Amino acid sequence: MASLWVILTIALPWLGGLVVWLLGEGRSKVQHFMAVGFSVASAVAGLMLLTVITDEVIVSIPMGTLFGEFTFIPDMLGVFLAIVATAIGSLAVIFSVDYMRGEAGLGRYYSLVLLFIGAMVGLVLSGSLLALFLFWEITAFCSYVLISFHNDDEKAVRGGIKALVITQLGGIGLLVGALAIESQIGTYQISDFLSRFQELPQNVLIFIAFTFLAAAVAKSAQVPLQTWLPDAMEAPTPVSALIHAATMVNAGVYLLVRFYPAFEGVQGWKSAVLVVGLLSALIGGLQACFASDLKRALAYSTVSQLGFMVFAIGLGAVFASQFHLLNHSIFKALLFLCAGSIIHALGTRDMRAMGGLRTRMPFTFLTFLIGALALAGIPIANGFFSKELILEHAFHNGPAWAYLGILLATGMTALYVVRMLRLVFFGQPGAYSIHVDSQRAMKVSLSVLAFGALTSWLLAGQFSSSLLASLPYQTWVDLSTVEMLSELIAAPGTWITLIVIAASAGVWLFWKTRDREGQRIQPVSDFILAGLGFEHLNHAIVRGVRALSNAATLTQTGQLQWNLVGLIAALFLALSMAVWSMT
Amino acid sequence: MIAPAFIWMIVIPLLGAPLVYLVGHSGRRFWGDRVSRYAALLVFGATWVAFVRAAQAASMEPTADFTWGGMSLALDGISLLLAFVALLLGTFVASFSGEYITGEAGQEKFYAMLVAIVGVMIGLGCATDLFNIWIWFEAMAVTSYLLVAYYHTRALSLEAGFKYLMQSAAGSVLVLFAIGIVLSQTGTLTLAEIRSQFTAGAPMLLAGVLFLVGYGVKSALVPLHTWLPDAHSQAPSGISAMLSGVVIEAGLVALLRSIAPIAAQMTFWGPLLITCGLLNMIGGNLMAYAQTQVKRMLAYSSITHVGYMLVGLGVTFLLRESSGAQGGLFHLLNHGLMKGLAFLAAGALLYTLHSASGDHKPLMIADLAGGARRYPLAALCLSLALLSLAGLPPFAGFMSKWLIFKAGFASGDPLLWIVVALVALNSVFSLAYYAPVVNLLYRRKPSKVVLEGRPLPWSMVTPLVILSLAIIALGIWPDMIGWMTHSAGEALVAGFHF
Amino acid sequence: MIISPLTISLLVVCGLTGLGFYGLLVTRNMIKLIMMLQIIVKAAVLGIVIAGQGNGQLNLSQNVAITIIVVDTIVAVVALAFAIQIRRQMGTLDIRELASLRG
Repeated sequence: MASLWVILTIALPWLGGLVVWLLGEGRSKVQHFMAVGFSVASAVAGLMLLTVITDEVIVSIPMGTLFGEFTFIPDMLGVFLAIVATAIGSLAVIFSVDYMRGEAGLGRYYSLVLLFIGAMVGLVLSGSLLALFLFWEITAFCSYVLISFHNDDEKAVRGGIKALVITQLGGIGLLVGALAIESQIGTYQISDFLSRFQELPQNVLIFIAFTFLAAAVAKSAQVPLQTWLPDAMEAPTPVSALIHAATMVNAGVYLLVRFYPAFEGVQGWKSAVLVVGLLSALIGGLQACFASDLKRALAYSTVSQLGFMVFAIGLGAVFASQFHLLNHSIFKALLFLCAGSIIHALGTRDMRAMGGLRTRMPFTFLTFLIGALALAGIPIANGFFSKELILEHAFHNGPAWAYLGILLATGMTALYVVRMLRLVFFGQPGAYSIHVDSQRAMKVSLSVLAFGALTSWLLAGQFSSSLLASLPYQTWVDLSTVEMLSELIAAPGTWITLIVIAASAGVWLFWKTRDREGQRIQPVSDFILAGLGFEHLNHAIVRGVRALSNAATLTQTGQLQWNLVGLIAALFLALSMAVWSMT
Repeated sequence: MIAPAFIWMIVIPLLGAPLVYLVGHSGRRFWGDRVSRYAALLVFGATWVAFVRAAQAASMEPTADFTWGGMSLALDGISLLLAFVALLLGTFVASFSGEYITGEAGQEKFYAMLVAIVGVMIGLGCATDLFNIWIWFEAMAVTSYLLVAYYHTRALSLEAGFKYLMQSAAGSVLVLFAIGIVLSQTGTLTLAEIRSQFTAGAPMLLAGVLFLVGYGVKSALVPLHTWLPDAHSQAPSGISAMLSGVVIEAGLVALLRSIAPIAAQMTFWGPLLITCGLLNMIGGNLMAYAQTQVKRMLAYSSITHVGYMLVGLGVTFLLRESSGAQGGLFHLLNHGLMKGLAFLAAGALLYTLHSASGDHKPLMIADLAGGARRYPLAALCLSLALLSLAGLPPFAGFMSKWLIFKAGFASGDPLLWIVVALVALNSVFSLAYYAPVVNLLYRRKPSKVVLEGRPLPWSMVTPLVILSLAIIALGIWPDMIGWMTHSAGEALVAGFHF
Repeated sequence: MIISPLTISLLVVCGLTGLGFYGLLVTRNMIKLIMMLQIIVKAAVLGIVIAGQGNGQLNLSQNVAITIIVVDTIVAVVALAFAIQIRRQMGTLDIRELASLRG
C-alpha cells in the first residue's frame, strides 16, 4: 500500500502531463480540466503519504550494476516537501485556469508544470543520489522552459537560459559530491552515506560538504549565485509562485538539511552556511526595499527568506529552518498568486503604476494583507512563529554579529512589506482601468492559501514529532506547539524583534515622500538593483566567453594549407609530449 | 570451413551495394525513383538478420575468428557495438532520405554508397591486423569523400569534399609510416603477434604518435578537426548524420585498435588522450557557440562529443580497468543516436524550408524561429536531440556522461576529479548554444522562411520519432544495452593486455 | 664512415617525405597538391619495403606495398575527379581561392 502512494504521487502528475500534452492545441477546456484533476489527485496521494511515513525503502527499482538502485523513502522530511509540492502545485494549477485563460500553448504549459510537480516529489522522496541528481536536473529543466514560456520575449528567453546555466553550474557541485560519495562507499544510497560517513577521509568529507553547499547556493538563489531568481520572474505568475517561491528553490535548503548530520562536524562548514544565509537575507532584503517591479520585489524577498532558512541551518536550528520553509512556501505562494491576480487585472508589474487597489480589489487586498503580515512576522500569521524560532536560536546560540545581522534583515522585511502595501493598495490610484477583482478559480486558491498562512503554525508540534520519529540520523528537538508558544512569549528576543518590526514598519507608514521613488537616491538604487555588482560580474563573464569564442572561430580560416599546418603542429605537439614522457 | 555468422554482416552489404546500384540504375524505368531506396532497405534488413545471429553467437562465445586469404577478421564487443551503431544509423538514414534525395540525379549511387559504407565500417570493426584496419579505413574514407561531395555541381560541396580528402589522405599517410615502423620493429602486422613481439622504446612511441595523428584526423582531434565543420555541413543531411554519428567514431575505433598492442606498457597514453579530450571539448564548444548555421553548429558539437569519449577512454588507459571505456563507448552509441537525430531533424527542416523550394541556402539558426507551430514533431525531435546532447536527464546523453564522470571519480586521484569537473563545466557551457535554439523553435511568431515552408512528408518524420523514443528509452533505462557496452569495454581492455 | 644501402634508403624516405610535406604547404595548384600527396605515399611504400627487408618479411611488405599503391591510386583518382569538377564549376585550380567555408 505504501509503495502505491509513493508511485502515485510521482506518476499521477507525469501521467497528467502526458495526457494534457497529447490532447493537443485547441481543446483548452478539457486541458484545464485534466490539469486540475491530475494535480488535485496527486495532492490527495501526497496527503495519503502521511499515513505511511517510515525511514525504510518503500520502492526500489534496480537500474543495473552501474547505476545502482533507485530507491524511494517516504520519511517526514521528504513527505512534507512532497505535500508542499503537490498541494501548492494543485493550487497553482487551479489558479492558472483563470490566469492562463485564452493563452496559446496551454498543453506545453500544463504538461511542464505537471512534469515539474512529479519531479519535485521524486527529488524529495528519492533515497538514491543518482535519482536525486536526476530529479534535480529535471526540475531545473522545467524551470528553464517555463521561465521562457513566452519565447518571443527576449527577456524571458535570457532569464530562462540564465536560470538554467546558473543552476546547472551549481548542479556540478551535486554531481561531483555524489560521485565522490559513490567512489568512497561504493553505493548511491543516501542512508548508507549518512550511517557510514565517518569512514570517509576527512578531506573528502570536506570536499563533499562544500560542493553540496555550492549546489544548494545555486538552487536556492543564495549569494553569490542569487542573480537568476529576479530574472526568472518573466515566467507566468503561477509558475513563479510554485517553482520560484514555494518548491524548487527550497531544494537547496532540503539538500543541506538532508545531509546535515554528515556535514555538521565538518570544519568551517556551518560558519560558511551561516554567512551565506545572512548575506542573502540582508542583500535580498535591501534589494526588495528598492525594487519597483512587484514580482521582482517578491523575488528579492524570496532570496532573503531563503537566506533565513540557510542561516538557521548554519546555526544548527534545523527544525526552525524547516518550519520556516513550510510557512514561507504557503505565504509566499499566496503573495505571488495575489500579485498574479493584480498583474492579470492591470496588465502591468510596475508598483508605481498601481496604488489605491484596496477598494478596487478588496478580496485580493485581504489575502495579500494576510500574506504580508506573515512575511513581515506579525503574530497570528505563521511567519511570525518560525522567524521567531530562528531569531531565538541566533540570540542564544549564535555570535552577536549574526544576531544583529538577522535582526536587521527582519527589520528590512517589515520595511519592504509596508512599502509594497503602500505602493500597491494605498495612495492615489494609478492610470489603470480594472473592472474585476480576482476571478473564481483564483479566489479558491487564494482563500486556501490565506487560511494556511493563518493556521499552519498550529501544526508545529505534530510536524516536529513526526520529523523526529522518521529521521534516524537527525538529532532534532521535539517541540510541541504549546511549548513553542510559551517559550516565545517568555523570551526577551521576541519583544526585541517585535519592536524592530514595528519601528521599521512605522518608518514607512509615516514617512511622507513627495515623489514615490526618491529621485535623489537613483544611483544608489540602481546599484542595489543591479545585484550590488554581481550582475556586472555575470555580464563580464558572458562577454568574455563571447569574445573568446569569436576569437576561436578565427582559427577556422578555410585555407587547406592552414589546416595542414594544424596537422603538422599536432604531430610535433604529440611527439614532444612523448619525448617529455620518456625523460 | 563454415563462415561464422558475423561474416555475413560484412558480406551482405558489400555485395549488396553494387546490386543496389544496378537495380536502381536499370530498374527505375519500371519501378520509378524509389526502387533504389527500397533495395537499400532490403539489404539493410538482411544485414540485420545477420547481425542478430552474430549477436546471438557472440553471447555464447564472445569471440569468433575467420581467415580468408590474407585477411583475417574477428568479432568482439567493440565490433558488435560499431556494427550496431553503423547499421542502425544506416537504416534510419536510408528510410529518411527518400524525399530528401528524390530529384537529384544519380540517387542509386547515393544508396549504393550508403550501403557500402555501412558494410565497410562493420569490416573495420572486425579487422585484426594493422594493415587490414588501414585498408578498411581507406575504403570508408574514399566512400565518405564521394558522399560529402555528392552534390557534385555545387561549389561549396566540392570545396568541402576536396579539402576533406586532402587532409584525411595526409593523415592516412602518417598511418602508413607508423605501420612501417611497427613492421620493422616486430616483423609482423597481426595485432596479437605484435603484442608478444613488443619492445618498448622510442620507435614504438613514434609509431603510436603517428597512429594518433593519422587516425586523429578522421576522429577530429583538435587541432586536426578543421575539415569536419565544412564536410559535415555541406554533405546531404543523411550523410552528415552518418559522418557525425559513426564515421568519426569508426576512426576512433581504428585508432584504439591500432595502438592497443603497443600502448599497454606506456604510461603516457592516458594523460595524452585526456588532454586531447579536454582540448576537443573546449575548442568544439567555443566554436559552436559562435555559429549561425544549424548544421555547422552541430558539426562543432561533434568535436566536443568526441572529447567526452576520449576522456572516458583516457581514464581506462590511466586506471587500467574498463569502467571509463564502458562510459566512453556508451557515449559513442548515444552520440550516434543523438547526433543522428539532430542532423536528420535539421535536415528535415532544411528540406522543407529551403531545398524543397529549390534553393541551396544553408539552414540558419534564425530560420528556425517559430518552427514548432508548423512542424511540431520535427521541432520537438530536434529539441530533444539538442537537450540530450547537452546532457539533460532523462535523455540518453546524460547517462553516458554520468558513467564517464563516475569512472573518473573511481580513482580518487584529485587531478582526475578536476578533469571531471572541467568536463561537467563544458557540458553546462554547451547549454549556452543549444538552449537558444530550443527557445527559438518555440516562438509564437514564425520567421518568414517558416511561413513559406512546405509541408513535411511523413517518411521523414517517422525515423525522427523512433530515434527520439530510443533516446528517451535509453535515458530512462540505460541498462537496456548494458550488455553491449559492457562487452565492448571488456574487449577493449582485453586488447590492451594491461 | 661507410654509408650502407639501408641508410641511403632511409635518407631517401625522409627526403621524399619532407619534400612532399613542404610541397603540400606551399603549392597552390590542386593537381600539384595531389602529386605531392602521392610523393609522400611513395615514400611510405619505400619505408615499408625497407622495414620488411630488414627483418626478413619481404614477402609481406611487398604485398602491403602493392596494395597501398592500388588504394592510393583510387584516392588520387577521386581527388583528380574533384579537381576537374572544381575547375569546371569555379574556373580555378588555385587552392587558396577555395576558402568560402570558414568560421
